[in-house]
Amino acid sequence: MTVETPMKPTAATTLPLPPAPPVTAAPATSPQPAQGPAEFGTTTMRVRKRNGTAEPVDLNKIVRAVGRSCMGLSRVDVMRVATKTISGLYDGATTRELDSLSIQTAAALIVEEPEYARLSSRLLATFIQKEVSNQDIHSFSQSIAAGHKHGLIADRLLQFVQANARKLNAAIDPARNDLFEYFGLRTVYDRYLLKNPQTREVIETPQEFFLRVACALSGDNAREAIELYRLFSSLEYLPSSPTLFNSGTRHEQLSSCFLLDSPADELDSIYKKYSDIAMLSKFSGGIGVGYHRVRARGSLIRSTNGHSNGIVPWLKTLDASVAAVNQGGKRKGACCVYLESWHADIEDFLELRDNTGDEARRTHNLNLANWVPDLFMRRVETDGDWSLFDPKTVPHLTDLWGDAFDKAYAEAEASGVALRKVKARDLYARMMKVLAQTGNGWMTFKDLSNRKSNQTAKPANVIHLSNLCTEILEVTSQGETAVCNLGSLNLGRMVADGKFDFERLRANVQLALRQLDRVIDLNYYPIPTAADSNRRWRPVGLGLMGLQDVFFQLRLPFDAPEARALSQKISEEIYYAALSTSADLAEQFGAHPGFSETRAAQGELQFESWGVVPEDTARWSTLRARIQKTGLRNSLMIAIAPTATIASIAGCYECIEPQVSNLFKRETLSGDFLQVNRYLVRDLQALGLWNDSTRNRIKMAEGSVQDLTELPAELRNVYRTAWEIPMRSLIDMAADRGAFIDQSQSLNLFVETPNIGKLSSMYFYAWQKGLKTTYYLRSRPATRIAKATVGASGAAATSAPAPAPMAQAMPEAEAVACSLENPESCEACQ
Amino acid sequence: MLLDPGLNLTLRPMAYPVFFEMYRNAIKNTWTVEEVDFSTDLVDLRSKMTEAERHLIHRLVAFFATGDSIVGNNLVLNLYKHLNAPEARMYLSRQLYEEALHVQFYLTLLDTYVPDPAERAKAFAAIDNIPSIQRKAAFCMKWMDSIHDVQAARTKEDRRRFLLNLICFAGCIEGLFFFAAFAYVYFLRSKGLLNGLAAGTNWVFRDESAHMAFAFEAIQVARKEEPDLFDARMERDVVQMLREAVECETTFAQDLLSGGVVGLSTQDMRGYLEYVADQRLLMLGMAPVFRTKNPLGFMELQDVQELTNFFERRVSSYQVAVGVGAANDVVFDAAF
Repeated sequence: MTVETPMKPTAATTLPLPPAPPVTAAPATSPQPAQGPAEFGTTTMRVRKRNGTAEPVDLNKIVRAVGRSCMGLSRVDVMRVATKTISGLYDGATTRELDSLSIQTAAALIVEEPEYARLSSRLLATFIQKEVSNQDIHSFSQSIAAGHKHGLIADRLLQFVQANARKLNAAIDPARNDLFEYFGLRTVYDRYLLKNPQTREVIETPQEFFLRVACALSGDNAREAIELYRLFSSLEYLPSSPTLFNSGTRHEQLSSCFLLDSPADELDSIYKKYSDIAMLSKFSGGIGVGYHRVRARGSLIRSTNGHSNGIVPWLKTLDASVAAVNQGGKRKGACCVYLESWHADIEDFLELRDNTGDEARRTHNLNLANWVPDLFMRRVETDGDWSLFDPKTVPHLTDLWGDAFDKAYAEAEASGVALRKVKARDLYARMMKVLAQTGNGWMTFKDLSNRKSNQTAKPANVIHLSNLCTEILEVTSQGETAVCNLGSLNLGRMVADGKFDFERLRANVQLALRQLDRVIDLNYYPIPTAADSNRRWRPVGLGLMGLQDVFFQLRLPFDAPEARALSQKISEEIYYAALSTSADLAEQFGAHPGFSETRAAQGELQFESWGVVPEDTARWSTLRARIQKTGLRNSLMIAIAPTATIASIAGCYECIEPQVSNLFKRETLSGDFLQVNRYLVRDLQALGLWNDSTRNRIKMAEGSVQDLTELPAELRNVYRTAWEIPMRSLIDMAADRGAFIDQSQSLNLFVETPNIGKLSSMYFYAWQKGLKTTYYLRSRPATRIAKATVGASGAAATSAPAPAPMAQAMPEAEAVACSLENPESCEACQ
Repeated sequence: MLLDPGLNLTLRPMAYPVFFEMYRNAIKNTWTVEEVDFSTDLVDLRSKMTEAERHLIHRLVAFFATGDSIVGNNLVLNLYKHLNAPEARMYLSRQLYEEALHVQFYLTLLDTYVPDPAERAKAFAAIDNIPSIQRKAAFCMKWMDSIHDVQAARTKEDRRRFLLNLICFAGCIEGLFFFAAFAYVYFLRSKGLLNGLAAGTNWVFRDESAHMAFAFEAIQVARKEEPDLFDARMERDVVQMLREAVECETTFAQDLLSGGVVGLSTQDMRGYLEYVADQRLLMLGMAPVFRTKNPLGFMELQDVQELTNFFERRVSSYQVAVGVGAANDVVFDAAF
């Protein structure tokens, strides 16, 4: 195929500029009917229409199409999108390609003006609508029927929708599309909407998707379904990804997390565990699995009189298995392995993610977490020794915690069965090193997790691990696989008139908790041990996201005392509303079967185990009395998940996290998206400061605004990034909140250039503050990619031409401190 | 002086600590090909990409594999010989390893993408037969290879030739050809395609950025030590060289995009090349000659910090070297 591009042959050294300038002059508040640009009449470019005929590219047509999506957007330039779209076309492109190019073109301008996010999302909504209606699907009930015909939708959902078709079809509110930011809608389109299995075209619109999920979770009641639909489509609350993926389909595996007890110390059990994990991963579940019970390297195998190779080869197999299961192409399988700190293979375990050394002893797909007893941290504190054991000789240690564990551990030490002794601080330093190098090797605390759990009132019920994201803490055993269904409230959408709306929060918690509870009964359990456990405990995990959005809207610095107080108050309200709703449910349907074994049955609530007294003690006393009478429908209710994907659907910052950067790229399976802090942009626009030069400065500063001195200091303080906020304040906030979280929270910590000194202090503090778990350690790369789109002019025109990414990588003082030429100030050489 | 002929072995006192720091930082960013996950790439290649996009990618990967070899050769044959400071040679040794790693990465990719051995051989043969690539080779020959016969840069003219080689190497090959090649990868990634290629390329790009920074630093040092090397003739040559490089790369772009790729036109690519060339001139303290604005919006993406959801991809930002020195004792009172 020969292609006539409008470009001249390359021999010419003068440049053909992109043909934009003649028409971009119009500021284009509203779509202009654009009579002007005849310039394009001269190109020979044609598009192929869906029916196969070719027609010349018509700028006016594109302008009109884009213009239809510009209502109320005063800062977008239609002509700019249209001309840029044309410049990216080639002769013979299809109209579909043209449409998606105009969406991408608009999306690329988001970094200049956040309103383009709205424009590109509207263009995308139209694009999706076209794709769906081209298959003769014009209503919600038709979409469900089509899904059923293709073998995707379950019979029960089809029947329900057919019986209530008129009501449900009328409930669809396309105006709600306007709540999406571009990234959100793109994610929904790429990954969540049901597709025709052959053509791969989507067969539902975003609103139909929300209604489908709502119907599937509503217990065959149209009024409830519509109520839930309104909740989802308001983006004030979203269920977790597996629930969104699978609701109403023929495989309703709706849970996010599975916690599997360690395989027993025998071959059969180890292999059975691989197959359990594969089954659970297949349907979008994230896996946590313990390996505490499996014997260590060098242990005698009686039947063959050989010696065991320890846990590493088994984990290598698990690694390959996890990589093979790809969650139906929707997302990759993911698994985290937990190991108790006394296991004699702990050092090998900590090397599993190194990128040097023997590949046979490396597992690049597995996440790693330390399951740390208090006793270990105390030995670290006192600089004591730490004994490592083969679980084969001390099988009981895994099932003990608190004083009983301390005692048994001391006995084992005294009896001389330890395989080795190490300095506790040496092992702790290795743990810190792994965190610094890989972000992995999460610190989770065994005793704190057990002591502060509602499920562990009886010594037989023990928590042995957390999950893939360290927010779920549930009892497991050889016969029980813990399961959790998750959903998250979007706090960012609950601010009204400069205040956080607690009324709305409570109402949303009530709806959300009922929905989560219903999932327990609807759920398809890929393995029987999961079903047994879930019916007994009925745990759910209601979380939150968009805390940073609340602070931005109220212009509160993340670590301000008011922010800390508000965050705690929000968590208290969520816990209170959740317990009340669960008590309502217990009145209606009965308490969960394990209720008598819980601390709540004895009147003990989460904050008591933290020694915290809530504000309004009277209402808590009333609630406590009621719970002791009626019981609870759910043993656990609150867990703050990382919300990575649903936060991008909802267009808010992730869970409890501060922003990582004012300008960053979000990498997902659907491509990379640029995200700008729209709150900051709004403030900069008001100050007349949002322009190319400001953008480049923020980019050069890796997303920081601290050097933008023209921005008032209060605002610079508000718009600090996670790298610029003291981690101590994040830990303090997490501990405040922890008193109202009966499971745990995915708490990431951020250290720009980690070293063992910093990390050992930080994690020790987290343990002292009573945090049950922590999650990733985030750090920044030691060297950076050169900026391709930021002019070198500023620095280069003067004296120092090299942009030296090195210098950026190290703050000035540290660069000096490291230099071998300055032995006095160099810590490294001392 | 940095360009004095010889094999200086004196590390103390260190003449150029900046090179030593670059060496140390480079080590912190060690990665391996095994860490890159190509699993979704094959699906993309088979079912999501057009014939035109596949043509683009096959040729591009073949170029990468060869290009990094050219760079490695120049490192050994020229840079290592004439940059006479042991700390600079430490950096070059590290860079040499990285170039080999890049070759390994692109080779692995090509083997993965093109399973048929005959097809593979054809992809590499393209390097020798395709005019757009031959033109690049001729360019390298013209501007870089003339230094091969200089065993020791004793005369000002020798040093001048070497400096021009270095500028060509940093400004045109690493700083322009590779920047262009990365742009294609990022373009595809902006469409959600070939995440494995993009993830590895991200790391390659990070390495290449450091290489370029090193070379420009060396140029700066040499220039400071012997200012009259950088005369009007040199400036004329540099401009001429960059113009030719832009032409070469434009021919390559026409070839890569010959099948018609939506969203990336040859004139946008040309604009980008001119923009990048201007950046290189600015880095040398010279006036830009093209004054073109960057037309590739998606390149903005790679300039900003990534935030990876681990469910989706691997996080590429962790530092590898910690664990030595006083800052690495267990303490409980460090600021955090």
